[in-house]
Amino acid sequence: MKTVFRDAELFDLIPQRPPIVMVDLLQNVTDSGAETGLTIKEDNLFVHNGQMQEPGLIEHIAQSAAAFAGFKGYADGGQPRLGYIGEIKRLFVYARPCVGACLHTTLRVLGEAAGITLLAAEVKDGEALVAEGQMKIFLKED
Amino acid sequence: MNKEELIEKVNTTLAEEFETDIEKLTPDANIKKTLELDSLSLVDMIALIDNEFGVKIANTELPKIQTFQALYDYLEANMK
Repeated sequence: MKTVFRDAELFDLIPQRPPIVMVDLLQNVTDSGAETGLTIKEDNLFVHNGQMQEPGLIEHIAQSAAAFAGFKGYADGGQPRLGYIGEIKRLFVYARPCVGACLHTTLRVLGEAAGITLLAAEVKDGEALVAEGQMKIFLKED
Repeated sequence: MNKEELIEKVNTTLAEEFETDIEKLTPDANIKKTLELDSLSLVDMIALIDNEFGVKIANTELPKIQTFQALYDYLEANMK
């Protein structure tokens, strides 16, 4: 089974398409979490004055969660299932990363109940913590 | 941790997190109604229990845990 998804390969897992795609790597997926990435390009919609703005970081976390959710459907042998964001909380943005930065995001499952998954996300640029927060997602039933 | 200490810690933790009067957390009270949990906030309780008590409540077990007494019993049986 495929375990690393890059660039357009992620289109099998998420519903977003360019120019709104905010994740370009998914790897190390387990039941308890995953890692995602994004290289910030100059033409990114959320870049202003050479820096990724806060909504872009939130969207990156959301799409990371969506990719993780999509992978679960893929891993179960079916089609990826659409993941919806139920809630974002305890979100902190510490910096606006610059064009060229390679974001590395760690997702960790904090709990699951009634089809809803609570994820913690940590976004880093190198060693620097850029943003962190929690997100609830649920998968659309077929 | 004995049963009384467990109950006190569960009640304190849940009352604080969900901003509920601790007096309302009685053994026979319904958890969802008392803490005003909806489907979104239910997962918060699951995560909190896991974090504070090291016990993961499986989806299959969740329907059986309707009251605080059931939660105390479940935690007592599953805490290491």
